[in-house]
Amino acid sequence: MVAVAQHPNITLYSYSEVERVTGYIGNFTVTIREKAKYVDHDDCTGCGLCETKCPEKVKSEFDLGLGIRPAIYKPFAQAVPNKPVIDAANCRKLINGKCGVCEKICPVKAIRYDDQDRVFQEEVGAIVMATGYDLFPWEEAYGEYGYGRYPDVISGLHFERMVNASGPTGGKIKRPSDGKIPQDVAFIKCVGSRDDTKGKSYCSRTCCMYTAKHASQVMEKIPDGQAYVFYMDVRTAGKGYEEFYLRSVDQGAQYIRGRVSKIYPRGDRLVIKSEDTLLGKPIEVEVDLVVLATAMVPSAGSAEIAKIVGFSVDKDGFYQEAHPKLQPMETFTAGVFLAGACQGPRDIPDTVAQASGAAVKVAALLNKSELATEPMVANVDQSKCTGCEFCVPVCPYQAISMIPKKERAHGQVVERQVAHINKGLCQGCGACVAACRPCALDLDGYTGDQIVAEVDALCL
Amino acid sequence: MKRIGVFVCGCGTNIASTVDVDRVAEVASVMPSVVFSTSYKYMCSDPGQEQIKKAAEEHNLNRVIVASCSPRMHENTFRKAMSGAGLNPYMFEMVNIREQVSWVHSNKDEATQKAIDLIRMAVAKVERNKPLQVTTIPVTKKALVIGGGIAGMQAAIDIAETGHQVILVERSTTIGGKMAQLDKTFPTMDCSA
Repeated sequence: MVAVAQHPNITLYSYSEVERVTGYIGNFTVTIREKAKYVDHDDCTGCGLCETKCPEKVKSEFDLGLGIRPAIYKPFAQAVPNKPVIDAANCRKLINGKCGVCEKICPVKAIRYDDQDRVFQEEVGAIVMATGYDLFPWEEAYGEYGYGRYPDVISGLHFERMVNASGPTGGKIKRPSDGKIPQDVAFIKCVGSRDDTKGKSYCSRTCCMYTAKHASQVMEKIPDGQAYVFYMDVRTAGKGYEEFYLRSVDQGAQYIRGRVSKIYPRGDRLVIKSEDTLLGKPIEVEVDLVVLATAMVPSAGSAEIAKIVGFSVDKDGFYQEAHPKLQPMETFTAGVFLAGACQGPRDIPDTVAQASGAAVKVAALLNKSELATEPMVANVDQSKCTGCEFCVPVCPYQAISMIPKKERAHGQVVERQVAHINKGLCQGCGACVAACRPCALDLDGYTGDQIVAEVDALCL
Repeated sequence: MKRIGVFVCGCGTNIASTVDVDRVAEVASVMPSVVFSTSYKYMCSDPGQEQIKKAAEEHNLNRVIVASCSPRMHENTFRKAMSGAGLNPYMFEMVNIREQVSWVHSNKDEATQKAIDLIRMAVAKVERNKPLQVTTIPVTKKALVIGGGIAGMQAAIDIAETGHQVILVERSTTIGGKMAQLDKTFPTMDCSA
């Protein structure tokens, strides 16, 4: 992380979003909005004094609500950049003007309550999408697991925060309900994955492995602890993965093949009703904590940013690759590449490999001083164009714009609007040609004449 | 004067087992403007492409049709062969007699007839092809990476290491993404942050 921030060739815009992308391969113009941070990061030294004195405390998003953070905060100690921002929705000073503690105690006077969003424009030749994933919102779909009503039914990411030494529990596995160390912990795999009726049809690929890790951590960290893993299949396709899974079995994790049909409380514990399909009979296990291995889904807002950049998503909302085997890092939009879980569920090794692959594609593009463009593109006969603008919204690549054209009519010079094709953007799909009522548009290499000749050859 | 060469590919037996490629080549030879036609086992192979170059020279071809697989597979291969033969790469048409004929039909007579019909259409089209020229556009030597998780960070570093400028945009206040939230990671159990 620090290597990224320190690299002389990398400019980092944190707390920023891409608002608009125009142009085409080799020549994109990008508008970036940096949200108001209310802290001048040029002056701030990142000393952290403001965070200790801020009187407002809210649930930490980074710790998934397991811990708290002040209104002026860094999400975690090693954050990059290692400087805080003020969360305007929770800052007392910004809400009602009463407080201002951080401004008073800041030794370098870096607090700016009047800070505004800033908008930047950048020219780039290539774009890499790496927008990642979110976890499937199981609380909305799985009534049998309590719709999120039981505090001791958590997701795998909650568990990660707890076992993390710098997390909200200091690395201790604790029940969110009463802070007690659980003895028996159940893990349920494929929650939202491989479940057509409630979730997604696909396998999320990482859950078998992180659940093996979690089970192993329960066995290691909790004296006399017991991990139960409820699974459909154990999928360990990766180097060293099968061995890793078997290690968790050797450590005593109990793997039970069956879907959990119900979780309900009994006293302060949770009862899991399932079947053991290897024994062929229903079983019941009482545990202290339940960890759900929830599906990976595209991250919130990923469809919107795909629209802004101008490429397509698949049926599940993941970014559509140009070819599943031969072009897994490319989109159908030239110059836009994919890396990581935005294209489909994957683990860290696969993500790193794909990201490096995408980087090579980008480097190969940027190493060229000029790009050859495909000449099979649309052409406008401006004398025929009536300026109806039908073609403009039809174009999936935003390649058509209207330009003024001056011409003589009845002894006068008149100006009218006609369609203009940006040949860098046009991909030669022909959608505009079919939409053009006065037949002013034609596609080089696929003209109307040629198509009629083909039909004649077949039918006459 | 339009002089068309037609090359029918058997794709091993992928096409040849369902389409009578020799017959297709024979029928194509008498189509308008066709001055040469042949069939071959693998048109995409080096010797296959060499045939295009040789025939272009010997028969003074100025238009070429290859009936083989999907253009998504080998259109570029054959366009390059066109350039190699000194012809404009856009005076070329590809007819898909694999995905659209041999792989989806079982009756050999009907499949062969369909392949002939498709080639007849391509002949009519390629007669009207005009040489197109590739133009060039400049390249801004800078990349944008959207998302600062493990994927975005790795891509940014690797691009930056090739000497190009990178802009990394992250919507939250820190880079690291989901990975920064994780504890040790499988299978090597090293620290994620």
